Amino acid sequence: MNITSSLSRALQLVVKYNTVFFFLIMMVVSAMVSDVFFTAANLFNLVRQVTPVGIISMGMLLVILTGGIDLSVGSVVAMVGVLCALFTQTMPLPLAVSASLICGLLVGSLSGYLVSMHKMAPFIATLALMSIVRGLGFIFSKGAPILVNENASALTDFGSGNSLGIPNPALVMILIFAITSVLLRYNVFGRIIIAIGSNEEAVRLSGIKVSAFKFSVYAIAGGLSAVAGIITTARTAVGSPVMGIGMELDVIATVVIGGASLSGGKGSAVNTLLGVFILGMIGNIMNLMNIPAYSQQVIKGLIIIFAVLLQRFQRTS
Amino acid sequence: MTQKLFFNLVNRVELRNISKSFGGITALKNVTFKVIPGEIHALVGENGAGKSTLVKILSGACTKDAGQIFIDGTEVNIKNTNDSKKLGIGIIYQEFSLVPDLSVAENVFLNQLDATGVWMKWGSMKKKAEEIIHSIGFNINPSVKARELSIAQQQIVEIAKALSENVKVLILDEPSAVLGPQDIQKLFETLDKLKKEGVAIIYISHHLSEIFQIADRVTVLKDGTSSESLPVSETDRDSIIRLMLGRPLNTMYPLRDTVIGEEVLKVLDIQLTDKVKGVSLTVKEGEIVGIAGLVGSGRSETVRAIFAAEKRKQGKIILFGKEVQLRSPRNAVSKGIGMVPEDRKQHGVILSLTVKQNISLTNYKGITDRFGFIKARKERNKAVELIRKLAIKTENENQEAGKLSGGNQQKVSLAKWLNRDCKVLMVDEPTRGIDVGAKVEIYNLLHELSNKGVAILVVSSESSELMGICDRILVMRKGQIQGELTRENYSEEDILRLSIGA
Repeated sequence: MNITSSLSRALQLVVKYNTVFFFLIMMVVSAMVSDVFFTAANLFNLVRQVTPVGIISMGMLLVILTGGIDLSVGSVVAMVGVLCALFTQTMPLPLAVSASLICGLLVGSLSGYLVSMHKMAPFIATLALMSIVRGLGFIFSKGAPILVNENASALTDFGSGNSLGIPNPALVMILIFAITSVLLRYNVFGRIIIAIGSNEEAVRLSGIKVSAFKFSVYAIAGGLSAVAGIITTARTAVGSPVMGIGMELDVIATVVIGGASLSGGKGSAVNTLLGVFILGMIGNIMNLMNIPAYSQQVIKGLIIIFAVLLQRFQRTS
Repeated sequence: MTQKLFFNLVNRVELRNISKSFGGITALKNVTFKVIPGEIHALVGENGAGKSTLVKILSGACTKDAGQIFIDGTEVNIKNTNDSKKLGIGIIYQEFSLVPDLSVAENVFLNQLDATGVWMKWGSMKKKAEEIIHSIGFNINPSVKARELSIAQQQIVEIAKALSENVKVLILDEPSAVLGPQDIQKLFETLDKLKKEGVAIIYISHHLSEIFQIADRVTVLKDGTSSESLPVSETDRDSIIRLMLGRPLNTMYPLRDTVIGEEVLKVLDIQLTDKVKGVSLTVKEGEIVGIAGLVGSGRSETVRAIFAAEKRKQGKIILFGKEVQLRSPRNAVSKGIGMVPEDRKQHGVILSLTVKQNISLTNYKGITDRFGFIKARKERNKAVELIRKLAIKTENENQEAGKLSGGNQQKVSLAKWLNRDCKVLMVDEPTRGIDVGAKVEIYNLLHELSNKGVAILVVSSESSELMGICDRILVMRKGQIQGELTRENYSEEDILRLSIGA
């Protein structure tokens, strides 16, 4: 009697914190199937791998919370990466970085403008921009990878260096995660974003300028994609127009694994970050096990389905 | 005589000592309830009295804990909605379940689509649907999509759908809440016809006047227990209210003694597509002005146009003698106008947010610092204060709004505007589908607000409610104001006459 009741309570906990649970399972499984998983070198590698997706996932979370979607993020990473490398050849570094950041913000703002002012479906607006921006990345780079200017070594040093024993890009991700988390939990901005995703019309009739908030989430997503692009270029010292192809799907997958609802109004920054690491670990462990890339895609997809089914179970129980 | 008749017939539906509890909360306690074929049996009670639970048990949406159900004298076991359908129980809910993109005919026969092989028999289905709708006295094109129907027409289609499944027992949950007076009359004729055909009808309503007009017997539920079933002819309004509330209700409406001041809101010749065709009105400080009219007469649209929830074509809005440009609800709110929308579940409150979060939605000024961070304690205090003031029945301020009863959701929708100091408050159907007790509280609240100088505009389908709380009533028809009645010459007939243009 006591055992069954405590068992069912344990089960409830698992269902309630399914993302945490799933994250822990992944850790245990990873540790079991590979001796190298828990080595410092591999963990560093894992963190570095997930950083760009992790940074963008926070922007995508905001967009998804309003009930929208942004498909252009991968293209922005490529275009901004290329531009950043190009800018370092003609501008001082701080200017180059800020100019590329602004380019990302502009793309995001354009999506935001189309969605909030012209009531365009987010899927369509950002699908169009995904294509346009990818094309621009190729045009700016003439289709070839662009090397970061040697004078801009501060950028590449930052990208490959560590502070406090943690890779710098990961620190940027943690900072962005912390800001998003605080905004969502304690700030009016987060409150209204979630309210819009729950019931946009009720928010509008409460006297809130919905369009301004919708606009800003896309701008933020564009800006964060730019940050990811700059960081990738900083780490590799190359801006390549083929970066981030299909990345939007990984980003959306992490948000969904993190328990957010694609219809909006539900999701959290912590769970999204866990989602980022879950997806990262899946890739990492399969690499360690030498699973071929093609099979990796299949397995990744299956694991996403499993994770989301677990959430469905939570909602119905 | 009638009494004797009841004993002679086999009950169509008999509930014997039904009990049901959810968690620790008892919803129904030993409820006994009988309906004979060919009677309209009214079921009344405050929200939370157990009416919907009772309906859910009959529909198979939830199962009873104890007790027995008999249909035509044989005990049945209703485990799911399918069982209930097979027994001939049809239910029409407050929220309709039509598929908006399917035609009327498809909706009517949704559960029994007619096909030969793989081909649908559209022709015969349409014809049959039309026949059924005709048989209850209406005329709706069976090819029209459900989303294009008026609310009244949707209800007719729901009834037709139930009839197509050969119902023996028809349960209507607050059917008149969404209908204008004319449509209600038609609904009653339909029900009367069905009753004569031997259908047992359970009619749930908050409108006691309707019950006296249509029902044969009435049963009152209070706190999960049932009263004796009384023949309507042997009871009266006051005794039913006494049974519902457990106390006598001296008066529903507050005594209007508010001092009316200067003009606050003046609306000149506003237009909104074909819904509002040049409406002008004024509301003074402390005044409560009602807008009556049939569904579709442009009442709600007028209010929405003033609030700038919809883009109006022309007209002026003057606040305290100065013309204001309102381009969005945000403009209206910043100028001190508030609106409690007609549809509280869709527009009034956000069901997935907490009561506290809903209340804060209209005003973050006092509860945030300059970076927009929410001061948790201030927010909580404000919410708790309003919850107490409006007597909102909720576990605490962090309860999800969707878990509250309709009346309490409506109070949250009002509390949002009490959270701001509105100069003008417009309320659209403030008491639709909520129980008598909550209604009285809302009337008193509006009265109190007017005492503080708020200019109030009330849209309602219930003439008696408007006559009870308003200082003036404007009657709309076809997008225009047809006439104005002042308190001295209020009459339900005049309101109806102006509404239908007779």
